[in-house]
Amino acid sequence: MSISTYNGAAIIAMSGKDCVAIGCDLRLGIQNQTLATDFKKVYKIHDRLYLGLAGLATDALTLNQRFQFKHNMYKLREERNMKPATFAHMVSKTLYEKRFGPYFVEPVIAGIDDDGTPYITGMDSLGAMETSKDFMVAGTAPNSLWGVCESFYRPNLGADDLFETISQCLLSGVDRDALSGWGAVVYVIAKDKSFVRTLKGRMD
Amino acid sequence: MASTRLNVPGLDGRCAGASRAAATLALGGADLASLAGGSPVASEFPLPAVQDLDRFENNVQELVKPEHGTTTLGFIFRDGVIIAVDSRASQGSYVSSQTVKKVIEINPYLVGTMAGGAADCAFWQRNLGMQCRMFELKNKKRITVCAASKMLANTMYSYKGMGLSMGSMIGGWDPSGPAIYYVDSDGQRTKGTIFSVGSGSLYAYGVLDQGYKWDMDVDTAVELGQRAIYHAQFRDAVSGGTCSVYHITKDGWTKIRGNNHYDMHYQYYPGGHPTAANDVI
Amino acid sequence: MASSGCLVSEQKPNGFDFDLCKRNAWLEKQGLQTLKPWSTGTTICGVVYKDGVVLGADTRSTAGETVADKNCEKIHYMAPNIYCCGAGTAADTENVTGMISSQLELHRFRTNRESRVVTSLTLLKSHLFRYQGYISAALVLGGVDCKGPHLFTVFPHGSTDALPFCTMGSGSLNAMAVYESGYKEDMSKAEAMELTKRAIRAGIFNDLGSGSNVDLCVITSEGAEYLRNVDMPNPRTFTAVPKPFARGTTPVLKSKELRVPSLESRVTIESQEGDVATAMDTT
Repeated sequence: MSISTYNGAAIIAMSGKDCVAIGCDLRLGIQNQTLATDFKKVYKIHDRLYLGLAGLATDALTLNQRFQFKHNMYKLREERNMKPATFAHMVSKTLYEKRFGPYFVEPVIAGIDDDGTPYITGMDSLGAMETSKDFMVAGTAPNSLWGVCESFYRPNLGADDLFETISQCLLSGVDRDALSGWGAVVYVIAKDKSFVRTLKGRMD
Repeated sequence: MASTRLNVPGLDGRCAGASRAAATLALGGADLASLAGGSPVASEFPLPAVQDLDRFENNVQELVKPEHGTTTLGFIFRDGVIIAVDSRASQGSYVSSQTVKKVIEINPYLVGTMAGGAADCAFWQRNLGMQCRMFELKNKKRITVCAASKMLANTMYSYKGMGLSMGSMIGGWDPSGPAIYYVDSDGQRTKGTIFSVGSGSLYAYGVLDQGYKWDMDVDTAVELGQRAIYHAQFRDAVSGGTCSVYHITKDGWTKIRGNNHYDMHYQYYPGGHPTAANDVI
Repeated sequence: MASSGCLVSEQKPNGFDFDLCKRNAWLEKQGLQTLKPWSTGTTICGVVYKDGVVLGADTRSTAGETVADKNCEKIHYMAPNIYCCGAGTAADTENVTGMISSQLELHRFRTNRESRVVTSLTLLKSHLFRYQGYISAALVLGGVDCKGPHLFTVFPHGSTDALPFCTMGSGSLNAMAVYESGYKEDMSKAEAMELTKRAIRAGIFNDLGSGSNVDLCVITSEGAEYLRNVDMPNPRTFTAVPKPFARGTTPVLKSKELRVPSLESRVTIESQEGDVATAMDTT
């Protein structure tokens, strides 16, 4: 048994033309037992920046609260929101601080810059960043998720097309994983609009 | 003694452990050998040439562990027997198939269910089918559920401790009426009216015990079986796929249903499942 | 601010934080496997030539048997005249080079002089030695300073070597085979670049932990040239662009429009109260 598969998770982030999307499944389990099907793993930092945390749920919740706190402190000091890249480095630094006793999470960050440029990045539990121009995944079935994303992703999609692509990847990916699924939620952030949708997926 | 060894392949002169000596005795002791005509019907099933066979087989079992999550159930009621199963096969958390057939149709009056090792269940129940047919040809009458399940249990007992993994229900109809036996790879064999086997069995028992009545009509019984499997699939990560329901009467078995979990869920809960009471968005 | 001190004291002393070690050791004792960090099962190398140094690296990062990044950057900036290739745990190589690089920059501001390669070498090795090899960074450090071109290898425990050519990572033997057979003294820039490219390619094709593309960095007394993806021997062979899904393909249970994100990053604190409430409502 691995700590990363104790609760189960699936997260994908994708970038499009002046937009990004980030989605996650909704299951919270303890090993094979499904406890809840309304457990979101993507957290809002501000209108244009979202953070996904896969891995051990207790650490994900703790970390989210720490990041909300740090972002609030930043806003009080600077009177502005964090840029996605700034936030990502803050997350990376927070994780690396615990290099020898890490939080068991894999973060995925998606957001758009002031000029609408998409920014997505993923990290391991120690904070090694990988900034990607297409997509990023995390969770208990990374292989399934990487596979579908590599096949279905195409660059420069608009917000509505990006929604379809990320949703199809998420739903197909989790269907091969026993520990994630039970519904999904997808956020799309574009320069001129932003929406969130829950998906109708398999519940087994 | 050799001629009474029945169909426990591999029990030739290479017996190494006490468990197998016991198995031979058990088979000889029970008067079942004559049922199958006393001749070794199965082909040779060679054993690996290792020093400590029992430990070796246990290690092998650790390496090859498919088909681990399962929910199967069976119960007897006024109008016969209901058998219901899921259809997922998994290797760890990976879902390797959503369309596994977990009911093995041994003959038109007898079915077996699969839980544990897929290969172990499929192979030995096919073998059981053959033994039952041999019995029929020799005795010119159908085998009872009691005798058939005993043959499977004997096979399991003869390989006890060697790493087989099987949890099965043998259900059927014979001249004495409907019957279900639970048989597993430890050699246990139990007669009963309500059983559920597999990783999701506790969830299924919850629904089953709550809704079971002897006097149900067939539709209610089929629905109860399906509902129990549905809820097990929902709660248990390694059960899922579809739900197949079999009904067994004096005329033999018929497959009544084969519904996808996705369709069942949105039919049962068009407005969303009650556990998702919080609006996620 | 000061009155609410205990609630907002997220500030901690600099350095590592060992808070969770006890819990994690307990979890491991329960038989739970910990997460696999990304590592750069890598081929990195460097060679000194007539006018400077050439550094080379592949671009694969792995998590177990999965390729975590097909095109990552393993040649890290240390100073305008110094670069450093990293192999080992990705987080360690990134952070150790980043930390030393910032110390070098502060040192430059203080002294108004170009950084020297041995300075960065000493900073790196003393940091790694302090942590007794637990920071798994294996480095190839190269640069040109007032004393001419320099090339060093740094091992995770803090030992170092000064060499005319060197390799590191899981593909080091493959790259070294090329260097050993092809190295000459006083090579031209083109020769050194070609040799390094071949060395990295040997790692990409023969070592399973290395792959994808070749990055080079050429440093002379004139400055550094970072040549990203100078060679791409592994293009995607299936180039068909997938058709986009038709709108409405995915069954949606519920859809909600969110506030149109303002592209202005300034915030007024008062308007954020609602957000703070939702942020706390995570359970």
